[in-house]
Amino acid sequence: MPTRESSFAAVWAILRKECRSEWRTRYGLNSALLFAITTLTAVSFAVGRLGDRTDVLAALLWIVILFAALASLSHTFVREVEGHTQTLLRLAAGPTPIAVGKLLFNLLFLGVLEVVTVPLFMILMGGPPPHWGTFLGVLALGSVALAVAATLVGAVIAQTRGRNALFAGVSLPLLLPLLAAVVSATRAQWTGNPVTFELRLLAAYTFALLAASLLLYDHLWED
Amino acid sequence: MIARTVLFLWIAAWTVLALLWAPLVPALAETTRVLYFHIPSAWISVLALGWSMFHSIAYLRRRRIEHDDQASAAAELGLVFCVGATVSGSLWAKAMWGSYWNWDPRETSIFFVLLIYGAYLALRSSIEGEERRARLSAVYSAVAFVTVPFLMFIVPRIYFSLHPDPLINSSGKIQMDPKIRMSFFALLIGFTGLFAWMLSLRVRVLRLARRFEAASAAPAGSAA
Repeated sequence: MPTRESSFAAVWAILRKECRSEWRTRYGLNSALLFAITTLTAVSFAVGRLGDRTDVLAALLWIVILFAALASLSHTFVREVEGHTQTLLRLAAGPTPIAVGKLLFNLLFLGVLEVVTVPLFMILMGGPPPHWGTFLGVLALGSVALAVAATLVGAVIAQTRGRNALFAGVSLPLLLPLLAAVVSATRAQWTGNPVTFELRLLAAYTFALLAASLLLYDHLWED
Repeated sequence: MIARTVLFLWIAAWTVLALLWAPLVPALAETTRVLYFHIPSAWISVLALGWSMFHSIAYLRRRRIEHDDQASAAAELGLVFCVGATVSGSLWAKAMWGSYWNWDPRETSIFFVLLIYGAYLALRSSIEGEERRARLSAVYSAVAFVTVPFLMFIVPRIYFSLHPDPLINSSGKIQMDPKIRMSFFALLIGFTGLFAWMLSLRVRVLRLARRFEAASAAPAGSAA
């Protein structure tokens, strides 16, 4: 049984390894950014400036983020399978530290993606200024939720046939309730309504998924 | 055999009684009768999906393929009963609210459950190897059931919904007419028995299919 300190060290090592191998090729990040910007352009071109239609804006913002996330978040696990590095990785760390390290990496990845996408969205779509504190809180919690669900599904999906097609199909149903809550919270902060209820629901759902996945990660890679 | 006959007679008798003997809830008029089928369907789908999670966790602990049979059969049946609850609810919505589908919180959340377990079946069909399929589906099934309490119980109760459980079931107490209550619980028991029977059939089919596969693979293996 690994000690707690060694697990933290393993998580940190996995996170650093993921960042380094991503930085070497930047294949995942580049394709995700390209995807996000293309989606954003298509949406912006198709509907034009929406002005104060915050209900549509909130939905479109999250659809752009979701699309980019779905195009890239399974990448961390699929890369190990396709590069045949999974066995080696498992010699270095236990399944849970690997998954947690990859979860943190996915979170970081989403953060970078949003730093580019969200300001661009604001400029192109021209909505009213958001309530920054609430807006960033919703964005952060939504990203955590997205990363937790997508990492778990990515880990499962990496070992299947037709994994890239299946990833969107399998993770979307789990993400839909989150998406509904996060869109309604984003809309509520624009109109100045309270968002505590949505945030609480989102936090509870994320926490339940996270707890379940931490218990289950150990069973992902036994062969 | 006897148990099956009793089960069918029980369901048939109580269906007749529910339609002819039990009175109607005034606010729901003739549509009251959907509750004898709609609520048991919803209840059995939660029961079946919970049963699937239970056996998924048992599989992950003990690694016996019988648990995977139970888990996959229960998830399939849970999906079937969930479709039953959705369709009967949708028919009822047409009669009461005037449209089959209107994204009421109840409709939305049951639709999410359908999608989540549809994804379970899609996932199963794309994994090669019995052990790996059982293991990965078990992980997904356990996670999927985590969402069920949210979707079936929490979300529909806190969002504003037109769904009529306040009429017959307010503040957690069952306030039904005694005759309605008796028919309802009798049919709930009956349909739960039906589910148990269907589950045992499905599990037997899965077991036989595996035995058949092993038997037809063995001579070819020994000849080679």
